[in-house]
Amino acid sequence: MDSIKRENIGKSIVFNTISDKRFKTMKLSVSFILPLKSSTVAKFALLPGLLTRTSQDYPDFTQFSKKLSMLYGANLTGNVRKMGDNQVITLSISGIDDRYAFEGDKISESMSKLLCDVIFRPKLNGNSFCDEEISQEKRQLKDLIDSEFNEKRIYANNRFTEIMCKNEPFGISRLGTKDNVDKVTGEELYDAWKIMLSESNVEIFFIGESSSDSAKNIFTYRFSAHNRTPYKIENTVVPYNGELKEETEVMELAQSKMIMGFRTDIAVPSVDVMAMRVAIALLGSTSHSKLFNNVREKLSLCYYCAARYNRIKGIVTIESGVERENIEKARDAILNEINEMINGNITDFEVEATKLSMCNDFIAVCDYDSGLENWYLSQIMDGDFNSVEEVCQAVNAVTKQQIIKVIKTLVFDTIYVLESK
Amino acid sequence: MEVKEIKSPLTGDSYYKIKHKSGLNIYVYEKEGYNSTYAIFGTKFGSINNCFSVDGGEKIKVPDGIAHYLEHKLFESEDGDAFAKYALTGANANAYTSFDKTCYLFSASQKFKESLEILIDFVQSPYFTDETVAKEQGIIGQEIKMYDDSPEWRVLFNLLECLYHNHPVKIDIAGTVETIAEITPKKLYDCYNTFYNLNNMALCVCGKAKLNEVLEVADRLLKPSKDVEITNYFEDEPREIVANFKEQNLPVAVPLFEIGFKGDGTKLITSKQEAATDVLLGMLFSQSGELYRELQDKELINQSFGYEVFEGMGFYSVLLSGESHNPERVYEIIKNYINKVRDEGLSVDDYQENKRAVYGSAIRAMNSTDSIANNLMECHFTGREFFNYADEVYNLKFEDVQSRFNEILDCSNSALSVIR
Repeated sequence: MDSIKRENIGKSIVFNTISDKRFKTMKLSVSFILPLKSSTVAKFALLPGLLTRTSQDYPDFTQFSKKLSMLYGANLTGNVRKMGDNQVITLSISGIDDRYAFEGDKISESMSKLLCDVIFRPKLNGNSFCDEEISQEKRQLKDLIDSEFNEKRIYANNRFTEIMCKNEPFGISRLGTKDNVDKVTGEELYDAWKIMLSESNVEIFFIGESSSDSAKNIFTYRFSAHNRTPYKIENTVVPYNGELKEETEVMELAQSKMIMGFRTDIAVPSVDVMAMRVAIALLGSTSHSKLFNNVREKLSLCYYCAARYNRIKGIVTIESGVERENIEKARDAILNEINEMINGNITDFEVEATKLSMCNDFIAVCDYDSGLENWYLSQIMDGDFNSVEEVCQAVNAVTKQQIIKVIKTLVFDTIYVLESK
Repeated sequence: MEVKEIKSPLTGDSYYKIKHKSGLNIYVYEKEGYNSTYAIFGTKFGSINNCFSVDGGEKIKVPDGIAHYLEHKLFESEDGDAFAKYALTGANANAYTSFDKTCYLFSASQKFKESLEILIDFVQSPYFTDETVAKEQGIIGQEIKMYDDSPEWRVLFNLLECLYHNHPVKIDIAGTVETIAEITPKKLYDCYNTFYNLNNMALCVCGKAKLNEVLEVADRLLKPSKDVEITNYFEDEPREIVANFKEQNLPVAVPLFEIGFKGDGTKLITSKQEAATDVLLGMLFSQSGELYRELQDKELINQSFGYEVFEGMGFYSVLLSGESHNPERVYEIIKNYINKVRDEGLSVDDYQENKRAVYGSAIRAMNSTDSIANNLMECHFTGREFFNYADEVYNLKFEDVQSRFNEILDCSNSALSVIR
């Protein structure tokens, strides 16, 4: 198994080295963890695209892209995601390991330097970014927001979260709104960039065979020029307010989408989190789960009907695609499966199968470089840092009684239906 | 039984290629240090194989979507459901049907041999009854409807209808609610008995598992198949397209487009042609090119812009897709650009850059077990050798790319599909 080395290279800046000979690539990523707020979300959402277009050394988009092609098609990406009540900006570069380059070409250092440059030495115009880049990036981000409407499964999930978590940071879209994006100025983006560098919690990952020393040194040096006052990562767990939120939206579609949301007070750092993870997987995250076997296979109501647990927020969602006339039937069938669990109708076979399946998947994702990175990044939000083996041990220690106990804490909070006309 | 080791001098990797005595083609790519194994068992039977005969016998026509339907139903055997069996090993199992193949797969980080036993066993144990077949109508009906609402899926099939007169590649892989209603156990058995002959199939394994573990299970569980001659019938497909434009309205906020250049699908391309094509497409359409820059500066495309080769038995096209508020203008600019480059010639600098980029992606494709196993399957069914692609990219010459450019991307034989 991989070994990870965590080193503090500044205030709330951790450099993680995963030395791994298995991959033919190296990957370096920098994640900036920031609080999710409606006043700043669009600015931070614009940064990853803006920063990965150009740099001071390569101020022209095409020249910059050519540089990446010459680095054997190195993949430089910027994205933004939501983790609990936080917005996480990740900038990363990956490419082939030096061993496979033509004629002894050394490219890993060039890749590290390039990523460092896009983060610390962007193309600027005084205390602002440049208009041409800003307008391109605003247009592309607004298209991305629109494209999430295009895919109805994504749209339904976004609407659902907005409704259920209306008064929490978690209810804010990670991309902001089109109006917010329009209003951002170049100076505000410059300030946001400065905040990203000085107030975020930073996790850097280096995954590969070559030495991470030079990358670590460049980042240590670059960050040392910033006066860092990192914020404290916080997540809220909101209780049920006593009223089931129901919303239906009608659209010209072939299939209706239904998302049901439940709240529980079991969330990180509760000791019962692992029991809840097993319980929800047993309910509806595997192809032998209760929802799969009963709602899909026995009742033939859905092609997909899946449950997910957000352990940071204490939120469980169950999403499905159903025929309009079967919405009620599917809703009842899903609630019935939860009741079955509450009543203790869980077999030892189901418990064992769920545990096996969870551990199988945890181990398998760590055979991918991005899987390893995501594994450890999600651990940071848990406030705990465990290897796959340790987490598998915790999974296997969960008992049926614990599963019944935790499933009883679920409270039905929200139902959103995107109904076909 | 013949076991051959195929080596890649570029990377030092290797895999074993076995013609098993049962008739099955087996590939095992061991990955040192990996903790999981990905295994995929597939047959050369996809949505396009809807009219066929065996050993020169009677021509059989089957309903659209039957290969995909069979995939769903094969998970049920007389002694129970395969997912329930996998539950005992923890393996993460799935399956998919494409235009030209159906594959069953799992990823396992424990109990590999037990999981492989389940895979080999259930794929060889069909069990179709009126009752089990009827039950699937609801589930697949919902899968079809999910795709009917998917703009990305619709924009592709509308384009294929513009490009192909007769070839069944234009038909939705899952069929329609009407065609799947015609499926019976008898028709499923007709397909199964034809295409699920081990000689028409391959098993590809990549990861922690070792050759001897795979062979031990294979020797024990594979039921020898007599090789049969399968003839697939496709109506003659004219070289010309059907129409150059199709539009559909769906609830979308940003319109989607897909552009297709119909090429010669009469024979499958070689690894060398594949390498030359990928470098050429990079030169013309990648982010570092002049065209991408023009389309971006004119605010006509965004990051979703992409390109791919779409190839299989009897069809070959180059596809470009993305989102745009003016797809017609994108199409015009792309055609003008291709014609301009034809007049002025390709650039050697662009070639150097894109050769490196394509080479890098060929190396990266040897990182993950699922990508390798799926590639081995694809190569087996298209008569190519997996490592040849990276070798061909490495050895490619500028002239190879120039001559490939003369063979593809005919603007007068192209079409645009739009969802808005």
